[in-house]
Amino acid sequence: MLRPLPGDRWNFTTAAHLLNRAGFGGTPAEIEKLVRLGPEKAVSRLVDFESIPDDTADPSWAKPDLNRAERFLAARRAGEEERRKLQREEQQEQRQHMMELRGWWLQRMAHGPRPFQEKMVLFWHGHFATSVEKVREAYLMWRQNELFRRLATGNWLELLIETGKDPAMLVWLDQAQSRKEHPNENFAREVMELFALGEGHYTEKDISETARALTGWSYDRATQKFAERPFLHDTSTKTVFGHTGNFDGEDVLEQIVAQPQAARFITAKLWNFFAGQPPSDELVTALAAAFRRAGNNFKPVLHSIFLSEEFYAPTIIRNQVKSPVQWLVGSVRVLERELPPPIVCFGLTRNLGQDLFAPPNVKGWDGGLSWITTNNLLARYNEAATIVQGDMSLAAGGLFPNNPTANMQMERRLKNIPAGRVEVGKLFTEKERANKEALIAALEKRLLQAKLKSKQETTLREYLDGKTELDDTHILNAIRLIMSTPEYQLT
Amino acid sequence: MKNDLTLRTRREFLRTTVLGGALSWTVPTFLANTFSVLQSEAADKATQVATGHDSNILVVLQMAGGNDGLNTVVPRTNDYYHRARPRIGLSEKQVLTLNDEVGLNSSLDGFKDLYDAGQLSVIQGVGYPNPNRSHFRSTEIWQTACDSERIEKYGWLGRYFDNTCNGCDPTVAVNIGRQMPQAFDARHPKGVSLDNPQNYRFISPEKARAGEMSSAEDSFRKLNQPEEEMTENSGGTIEAIHGPARQNGSVLDFLERTALDAQVSSDTIRAIASRSDNKATYPQSQLGNALKLVGKLIGGGLPTRVFYVSQGGYDTHTNQAGAHDRLLKDLGDSVKAFVQDMKGQGNMSRVMLMTFSEFGRRVSENASSGTDHGAAAPMFVVGNKVNAGLLGKYPSLAPGDLFQGDLKYSVDFRSVYAGVLEKWLRTKSEPILGKKFAPLQVV
Repeated sequence: MLRPLPGDRWNFTTAAHLLNRAGFGGTPAEIEKLVRLGPEKAVSRLVDFESIPDDTADPSWAKPDLNRAERFLAARRAGEEERRKLQREEQQEQRQHMMELRGWWLQRMAHGPRPFQEKMVLFWHGHFATSVEKVREAYLMWRQNELFRRLATGNWLELLIETGKDPAMLVWLDQAQSRKEHPNENFAREVMELFALGEGHYTEKDISETARALTGWSYDRATQKFAERPFLHDTSTKTVFGHTGNFDGEDVLEQIVAQPQAARFITAKLWNFFAGQPPSDELVTALAAAFRRAGNNFKPVLHSIFLSEEFYAPTIIRNQVKSPVQWLVGSVRVLERELPPPIVCFGLTRNLGQDLFAPPNVKGWDGGLSWITTNNLLARYNEAATIVQGDMSLAAGGLFPNNPTANMQMERRLKNIPAGRVEVGKLFTEKERANKEALIAALEKRLLQAKLKSKQETTLREYLDGKTELDDTHILNAIRLIMSTPEYQLT
Repeated sequence: MKNDLTLRTRREFLRTTVLGGALSWTVPTFLANTFSVLQSEAADKATQVATGHDSNILVVLQMAGGNDGLNTVVPRTNDYYHRARPRIGLSEKQVLTLNDEVGLNSSLDGFKDLYDAGQLSVIQGVGYPNPNRSHFRSTEIWQTACDSERIEKYGWLGRYFDNTCNGCDPTVAVNIGRQMPQAFDARHPKGVSLDNPQNYRFISPEKARAGEMSSAEDSFRKLNQPEEEMTENSGGTIEAIHGPARQNGSVLDFLERTALDAQVSSDTIRAIASRSDNKATYPQSQLGNALKLVGKLIGGGLPTRVFYVSQGGYDTHTNQAGAHDRLLKDLGDSVKAFVQDMKGQGNMSRVMLMTFSEFGRRVSENASSGTDHGAAAPMFVVGNKVNAGLLGKYPSLAPGDLFQGDLKYSVDFRSVYAGVLEKWLRTKSEPILGKKFAPLQVV
């Protein structure tokens, strides 16, 4: 029973809310544009992204490595000294590629043509939480990222099957090592517990039988591709959720998606991601029914969510903690500046607790209030200086916890990287820059799409009054001050 | 001015809470929780609440990278040892004898002094079943104290805080470094992380005149000060961009409390660090500096139960000898200075320091005069009340007793954690570690 949003509630606040949640926010002009479109067209502009051309080039290295097998062989033949050297070079190259990959993805989020698609990729990345710390190959991480992009709003079963056969996932959850003599249950377990059903909706027996059905799904290191290996597959009968048969991997995933709980689980998680709060039981029932009616396709459900009155409830709007990535990308967007260089972005988000392509574990990021501790709240306040004023004095290293020397070198290097800064002239009119009241109103509209408390407005006013002239430095400081409030951490 | 402001703020808190009796939402979490802490203390005498100035303190020291246990606590008379390590094996004169069989790497002369003074216990052969040789995964296992087949979301120290002090002062756990250790991850995260007290603050974009606060910082403080009256602005609706939405217990509410916690702990830490002195001279190293700061914070009376420091560089795959010795020298000297500092302050009886590393290294040296990732290794525990001497059993080096070239553990690290939790932090270990491990008699 998702109620449609009444037309008279479509305004700057609700349009900003849509752009913040179904994307990464935007400038007042972008929000006004959505207001003019009306809710249906505004939602369609974001959600039906296929019609928007996307000519983003792949990273130069993002292709299968044809010399791979040869290089492995060479390394194996080499003496120990030489082998270590080759390993070090390989690690260095992978690190370099990962840095580029993070930058490439953040760039798509911040300035790409399809922000909603990227928001969905971020959702799936957090959902299937695969880490390069174990996968160790940038190419595989990129492939998985592209898979999430391709099937971002598609069919649930198709996405589950393709993710199960995705090389990064095969490595991450050990499916690549599973064989009929010793089925590895890691992927089978997480598919039920974390990806599709949730605890309490399956038995241990369902897991071990599913693991047997999945045997034969493997990974070919030489070609960097999924490999179906019949000689590893257990062909005897299995019983999963009360059905018995000679199931293979696709069969069991199909059965999982057919479980009544499956529709509730994934739609509840989607709602929580976009609305910032778990849905009521009533709402989950409605979402799950809509999902089934849509043949387990996500797009129609997403349309309903973003056009529902529930999504625009006052308890939902501006009541979600920004994730570090949302904080970074959103800030860059409202401040109309370029992203800082990838290595700087990496440090900024990692310091705040979100390292893209390296979630803490297979459960992904907890999100919500757990993004905020005394420590990283102060870090957000100070990192605002990097984004607004290009201040790199606090740039964090920490990339090589096992290697203090490399860390120090990295920190030294970081301090000399230009992070870029905000151009005040781009953001405010002459009139706004000349009048403090107008300026404060414009700052609020741009940075918060809401007003500060009146006492906070007074504080800002007093701050600006204390300066003899309203120059760019002080306006930048005012931006930094607003970013250093509890209010700015909300979206 | 800075301190005045803090004091004024604190007085305000006390007025509105303790004296006024009303626990309003403007109170920082940890002050609001003083009451529940007192209550839980009364309710469960078996559990020592993790706050207060006179309680025991634990310092965890991570030796990151996988310390070569065999060249740290050396099986000096073992033939297998010398055979497996023809190039990097330590000779008699590179070892400080502990007994007929083992000795300390001579770079650990600092530890030898502590050993002789009855302040050091050496726990031999610590590890866990089905050891993992990845830095990432094995560190995670040690930090979360889980079985090697299981993924555990929260850290063991985080679970300790969740169990014993929901809502106490954020400085109850302090990490010296940039990244919060995974061990602190919790349902209700606690702890502050700082490499330098001067950075644990809002860094003002404006320079202040001596003894004053810059106007930006002054504004920052005001912007982050929650309003006293809930009624103000309550008429506003978010629709018209009119006033901020506010519900009691909202996300904003949580953010405001955390902001206040951050500011108060930032002021406290910087005040303590600037007025407190060390009673010993520390080595000029990253670890030395970290322990020096810990010493200051303890001396200044920060109500911290757990400090966390780390020393990196133990991943010694090539030409290990010199590098490893330097690390151990730094370790021994830094810890010894810390002990002297604590003694000088009169705090030594309250402090226990425990080391760990994610794994030991292979028994056999590799072709680059280094060692590769292995399994079991020793831990050190330092303190006045520790069960000094050698604990646990040195794992056999006989080739037939090894598992894939690695030492088999004789002590599960979670027994050490259980001992620390039960005997030192005085809390039940089972709810924290998820199952029962026989507590090692660390004190």
